[in-house]
Amino acid sequence: MATRTQERRLAFLATALPPIAWVVVFFLAPLAIVWAYSFGQNQGLTEVDISGTFANYARALQPLYLGIFAKSIFVAGITTFLCLVIGFPVALSIVFASERWRAWILLLIMLPFWTNLLIRTYALIAVLRTQGYVNFTLEWFWNQGSWLMTLVGLEPLGDFTPLQLLYNNFAVVFGLVYVHLPFMVLPLYAALDRLDKSLIEASLDLGAGHIRTLFLIVVPLALPGIVSGIIITFVPALGAYLTPDLLGGPDSQMIANVIERQFKKANDWPFGAALSFLLMYATFAAIALRVYLTRGKPTADGHGI
Amino acid sequence: MSDERTKSLFGPHSRRSILKGLGAAAVGITLTSKNYSAWAADEEKKLNFYNWDTYIGETTLEDFADASGIDVNMSLFATNDELFAKLRAGNPGYDVIVPGSEFVERMIQADLLEPLDHAKIPNMKNIAPEFIEDAPFDPGRKYSLPYTWLVIGIGYRKSKVKEVPDSWEYLFNSDQYKGRIAVMSDASELFRNCFKYLGKSINDDSPELIKEAEAMLIKQKPNIKAFHEDNGQDLLLSGEVDLVMEYNGDIAQIMTEDDDIDFIVPKEGAMKQQDTLAIPKGAPHPENALKFLNFIFEPEVGAEITKTILYPSPNAAAVALMPDSYKDNKVIFPPADVMAKCEYPRYLGPEFTRLLDEAMTRLRAA
Amino acid sequence: MATRRAPLEYNRAWQMKLWLLVVFFFLYAPLLALIVFSFNDSKRNIVWRGFTLKYYEKLFNNDDLLIAFANSLTIAFFATLISLVIGALAGILLWRYRFFGKTAVEGAFTLPIVVPEICMGVSMLLFFTRVLPWPNDLIWPFSLGSIIIAHVSFCFPFVALVVRARLASFNTEQEEAARDLGANDWQAFRDVLLPHLKPALIAGALLAFTLSLDDFVITFFTSGPDTVTFPVKVYSMLRFSVRPKSTPHRRC
Repeated sequence: MATRTQERRLAFLATALPPIAWVVVFFLAPLAIVWAYSFGQNQGLTEVDISGTFANYARALQPLYLGIFAKSIFVAGITTFLCLVIGFPVALSIVFASERWRAWILLLIMLPFWTNLLIRTYALIAVLRTQGYVNFTLEWFWNQGSWLMTLVGLEPLGDFTPLQLLYNNFAVVFGLVYVHLPFMVLPLYAALDRLDKSLIEASLDLGAGHIRTLFLIVVPLALPGIVSGIIITFVPALGAYLTPDLLGGPDSQMIANVIERQFKKANDWPFGAALSFLLMYATFAAIALRVYLTRGKPTADGHGI
Repeated sequence: MSDERTKSLFGPHSRRSILKGLGAAAVGITLTSKNYSAWAADEEKKLNFYNWDTYIGETTLEDFADASGIDVNMSLFATNDELFAKLRAGNPGYDVIVPGSEFVERMIQADLLEPLDHAKIPNMKNIAPEFIEDAPFDPGRKYSLPYTWLVIGIGYRKSKVKEVPDSWEYLFNSDQYKGRIAVMSDASELFRNCFKYLGKSINDDSPELIKEAEAMLIKQKPNIKAFHEDNGQDLLLSGEVDLVMEYNGDIAQIMTEDDDIDFIVPKEGAMKQQDTLAIPKGAPHPENALKFLNFIFEPEVGAEITKTILYPSPNAAAVALMPDSYKDNKVIFPPADVMAKCEYPRYLGPEFTRLLDEAMTRLRAA
Repeated sequence: MATRRAPLEYNRAWQMKLWLLVVFFFLYAPLLALIVFSFNDSKRNIVWRGFTLKYYEKLFNNDDLLIAFANSLTIAFFATLISLVIGALAGILLWRYRFFGKTAVEGAFTLPIVVPEICMGVSMLLFFTRVLPWPNDLIWPFSLGSIIIAHVSFCFPFVALVVRARLASFNTEQEEAARDLGANDWQAFRDVLLPHLKPALIAGALLAFTLSLDDFVITFFTSGPDTVTFPVKVYSMLRFSVRPKSTPHRRC
């Protein structure tokens, strides 16, 4: 049937054209300018001479920068892992909540993120600093404990030493988890919503415990969501610069901080572009690898990107 | 639910924009903004002022509108780097900007600033002469006029230091206050004040000097609690650190909240800066901009601005109108003998910038 | 089988409740602390100096801030709407069709997530000043156009990703059954696929709205003199915290 084929083609075009056109005109075209810059060098203060040089990449591949890359990947990795561990039960509870509660929990998870990132970061500073709420609370307990000790005739505890919670790598990871948690919860929820609950019942009926059911049934069902969640948590965490800037210590420097400096303070756009595009080449390599590994498998599997 | 939220908070702006829309319709909607030159002869009564947040007197913009009929539309940037990064691709329509002195030199070299017609700014006479004469970054002040000036030094908590920390040594080369000091994260501000400590000029561009400063700071790093993003005053006020490298104006602010805080410019001298007013190339309303600049240098206007922002003002006529508590403030106006050792940073070229940035990256990664 | 709970009642388990409680505490405690301190009669939010409403008074009298806020909401609203359409189509495209250059398209759709913000900001800056200059005397809300476009470009891949993950659990036989019953492509899409996508669309919209509302870097580089958004205002307020005396509200 010719009309059927025609209709199919129309459906394909209607699906394919808007996103592809958008990404080409409003994303790839702008990005191409900066990509070209990564093969150029500064000409005076504002112009970039695109000479086809690879000098920027050579510089970006120095051990200094690779080391920072590695460190950033490590920090982003820990952040992603923590988000997954914290976020998975939250996503499950959204999925299993009643219709009314589901909307509320979703809203409650998202609401803090409609407060500005900088304000949230300042809130964390207020909580974590030496004279912050965490230390105030701990000090209170410490003093109560000390009082109790004297009450039962023991030596009181010494003076309270505040915990150093800010300006170190712990603070960076804490801040990143705080900022990126919904990026993990939302895809998990989207993937699991209205999952086939008979599968869980069957598993329980067959004698598997709740934990086993979770890992054998629920996690595989959630896998596409987990993959998406990891991607949209890990990658933005890798690109975070504000959190390490404001919460980090003397050695909390992530690659995004270096990139940001190139575009701003150092005024070296070609080098900043080269550093940025290294990240993108790595992504493309990962995608190509995935395509290569899953070649031959049936399509419409929907697993991640 | 997002939609509901949007709608309920929509009210005031949509009304305003409708009015704005009607106004635009009345004068004839212009779809292209590139045709600036045609407007120059008879400029619309509008001015786009690109400023730091609240870096202006509380009523200054209204007063200017009353006096001249020109509406000032103020938008905001937060760092000089952002200002430069944004303007280097082209001016999207700003008339007056407020760059720091080092960036004035960069912008002059990059041909981003419009020369100023001094004849149209008669109030320049109110500016203290040293700010006109001593401006190596803009000789003859052809492109920029001083708005405020500031100097980097050490802010400290009096009860936590044994003696007045009057040397950079306490921050750059000593473990006396281990874990209780914070320095700036900006490579230029940090390294070039180190140059001062090492007995060199802020504008010495020898790579060996950068190396020397880098080695010293790497050695000092375990003693440093944080590299702050120009929010050192908060760290000091909250008791997070006891010594902090910061601008005098910022410390003067928190001194009004906490008596235990003081500020000193180290005896080796330090970096001083100016925030300036300038007109970027391609400004759509250059005539209005000149009127605005002239207005800012009126004595009363300058005093109104200074009352709000409490920074050192180069406007001598305005300072004369200020109360003694401002004029005699040793933090806002550090002693002349130490100020004589302070220098304005010059723009020393891309190679120097790059070396500094690499040194900073190594320092943070070390 | 006294110990067995129906799967639907996972939420009755105390471990689950405790976990949710802890997570909400983690999310809200810092903000609550900040809210409490917004009533503090101190300019710098460090020591409690008495109760005041003056910051709220100043906040609501601050027209600039309210306009910036309205701008941000408008941008977020349109950016979410467009991202939702484009992102859903992108997700469906990659899930349903095999076509020439699919891997490249897939990569292009992922790139906006990978590009560092500042790099994206600078490309948008160059694009909107050199390639497609956006006139800055357009009537509101068209004056926000360049910002909305930039926001869609970095928001829609998030929608696409979530939609695709959701489609993994879609049973294509349902759609075929609908077609067998005489539905055309559009009807099958509207009545079968779209309802299945609902949770992904909700999640995607929430993500896009959040990302757009919070974006500073890309907005900063695409905004003109007339388009101050809330984050741009807040960033200059907080990062240049020199004059708390006149700063209307350090905490908003």
